Amino acid sequence: MPIVDMKKIFLFSHQQEKDTVINILRDIGVVELVDIKESNEWEEMKSLLVPEWSADAVSFYESLLGEVRYCLDFLQRHFPLQKNFVQQFAGAKINLTPAQYEDYISRKEEIKAVYQSCRKMDEKLTNLRNEETRCHNLLQSLAPWAGFSLPLEKVENTLRIQMQLFTVATDELPSLQKSLTEISPDHYLEVVSSDKELTYFLLISLSEEAGVVREALKESGATEISFPGIAGTAAQAISMLKEKLENIQHERAELLKKVEDLINYRPHLMAYYDFLEDERDKKEAINKLAGTKTSFMLEGWIPLPLLSSLEKVLSEKTETAFLLSRDPKAEEKAPVLLQNGGAADAFEVVTKLYSTPSRREIDPTPLMAPFFFVFFGLCLTDAGYGILLSLLAIIIFRKIKLAGMGKQLIKLLFLGGISSFIMGVLMGGWFGDLVKLKPLWFNPLDDPMRMLIVCFVLGFIQIFFGMGVRAYQDIKAGRILDAVFDQGLWFILLIGLISLAFPQFSAAGKWLAICGAIGLILTQGRSQKNIFRKFFSGLVSLYNITGYLSDVLSYSRLLALGLATGVIASAINTMGGLLAGSIVGVIIMIILLIGGHFFNLIIGTLGAYVHTSRLQYIEFFGKFFEGGGKAFQPFCKTTKYVDIEEREA
Amino acid sequence: MTGIVLALFGAALAVGLSGIGSAMGVGLVGQSAAGVISEDPDKFGQTLLLQALPGTQGIYGLLTGFIIMQRIGVIGGGLLPLTPEQGFSILMASLPIAIVGLLSGIYQGRAAASGIGLIAKRPEELGKAIIFAVMVETYAVLALLASIMMLFGIAV
Repeated sequence: MPIVDMKKIFLFSHQQEKDTVINILRDIGVVELVDIKESNEWEEMKSLLVPEWSADAVSFYESLLGEVRYCLDFLQRHFPLQKNFVQQFAGAKINLTPAQYEDYISRKEEIKAVYQSCRKMDEKLTNLRNEETRCHNLLQSLAPWAGFSLPLEKVENTLRIQMQLFTVATDELPSLQKSLTEISPDHYLEVVSSDKELTYFLLISLSEEAGVVREALKESGATEISFPGIAGTAAQAISMLKEKLENIQHERAELLKKVEDLINYRPHLMAYYDFLEDERDKKEAINKLAGTKTSFMLEGWIPLPLLSSLEKVLSEKTETAFLLSRDPKAEEKAPVLLQNGGAADAFEVVTKLYSTPSRREIDPTPLMAPFFFVFFGLCLTDAGYGILLSLLAIIIFRKIKLAGMGKQLIKLLFLGGISSFIMGVLMGGWFGDLVKLKPLWFNPLDDPMRMLIVCFVLGFIQIFFGMGVRAYQDIKAGRILDAVFDQGLWFILLIGLISLAFPQFSAAGKWLAICGAIGLILTQGRSQKNIFRKFFSGLVSLYNITGYLSDVLSYSRLLALGLATGVIASAINTMGGLLAGSIVGVIIMIILLIGGHFFNLIIGTLGAYVHTSRLQYIEFFGKFFEGGGKAFQPFCKTTKYVDIEEREA
Repeated sequence: MTGIVLALFGAALAVGLSGIGSAMGVGLVGQSAAGVISEDPDKFGQTLLLQALPGTQGIYGLLTGFIIMQRIGVIGGGLLPLTPEQGFSILMASLPIAIVGLLSGIYQGRAAASGIGLIAKRPEELGKAIIFAVMVETYAVLALLASIMMLFGIAV
């Protein structure tokens, strides 16, 4: 039975053993906790029990978590942990022995100190960055004045004269000079520097002409520039600023060195983070309980096969815990755990990505697995790629510790590689046409029509199988009429239509199809009351034939994707072949072949995976599978950063 | 020579138009993905998967282009003498993947970009996000099939 039976459990115990019980549940990780306030029996129990409350403890851990997260982010920002390409997908955890873990999480004080110094250094670094930006900005505005020999503080107005620095658009300068000559013949204008856009100049004029000069400047769009707080010439100021920037660099380097010292604490921080999260989860779990002064009660789900082991552990490790269990009631939505043996296990990931099956349905995984296997291989149809893919999957499986869906996905790719190898041998694809081996069956490139028909036949088989499963479900649920009318009559009609394609069966096919069609017209409107409505609903239902047609045509993608992988592989080989002349050419050819085939393998595998999944989801699941179940999520220890090696039992 | 020119035009359309469609689609998804990564760099793998989806149209176009080039002898072997009718037929055969590749690439990009928004909030729903995008790609696959069938059917 792929869907595991669930039991509802009620656990009673003494308040003193609350933490022990929670720890046990967390360690064995087979119970999904239910918030007792949301359970069906709560109304009856409300008068006896008080909900447990631990929000304070939760928020205490949350704030500590915030501190650790801050430290980790801070370290990550300055000294990022590099992840390789596979880790990007699978995540990277550090491995710790239980002793190390215990040691790391015991150093609360040190971690507090690390947090304080992270804070301090972050602040210092921010200040340095601000200072640096200020210096850079100042440097930039001073640069055009580098050639100006007067100390900047000497540029000031006196009683008689106005002395100021300006910038003006270079195009405007001649007209400004002209108008200044007219209104103030005694002015002195010295251009300090100029580039394509702006000209930087010193202007000295008499104070009595200040008004008209200001007008002229305004007209040409000149802007006054001042450097408050800077003493000495611009060149001096620039060299001072440069020195300062260098100092800032030094200071930062020193600070970063100190930060680097903190990196040694990263594993501690990571372990502590996971520890805190674990503690918080436990406190959150307590929120779901209810109790009296001396006892408490816990409600949850457990897979039936694991119930006895829980009972055993509880009786061994606690004195007061008492366990009651019962079957789920009809109106209860028990969580769903899939358990498929052997190779079918890998295909669970495909089902789960669509939807967890609901309790009333059968798990579609084992039904879908053989189709997925064959279709995946057809989408690649290359023996060479199949071997490569399986090897890659094995390497990833060995190198990286994966659990749950990640592990299933890698297993799925391994199986896909095997399937692709088989299809490649059947249809003569070895890295495209790199190795010319005779196909055992036929090459789709030589006879695409034949391959197309093979795809359609496979499609028909899967669709009929899906309808069969639906009929089986209906019969099991006692809806025999539905099974006969909705599935059986379509079977007759479709088989009749297919037989029309073969001359020897066409007569029988014609009558089968007509019988099926009449049957459908008569039965498909059976939920309608009015006799005319009954008839028209039946007639309209025949339109669904287009649905079946498009479902079958959809399987043509198997041909298209299989051809695509093969032809692109051949194209890579052809391009490589053009290069093979000289030694350099051969080297380039080898690089091109390796890179090209690897790229094609990745793209082909992605296409094979998504399109094969789609065929299952839309064409196959659409016939019988509804999903909408709630996945079983046991209360267990989850870690984000560290993997703790198994303790000895 | 007209035949060869028309056939090459077909190859150029197949590769070019569907390439544009894929580039736009992949670009759209990349923009959304970059936004999500700025918040949560750990989603790189998932978003990359979605970004790769609208890239297939370009590959289908390239594939069609290669088949055309192989059929008329641009790659491997000398150029075949094509009649204008043959060349025109090849041009016609390139149209399904050229047109559908262009448009479906863009629309698949949109669907996948929305999928990025979906996994930003609910990373466990990656499978559904992929399916929404793949629904669009169906039509590119069908167009590719039509183009390939026509190309294999044209006698040169």
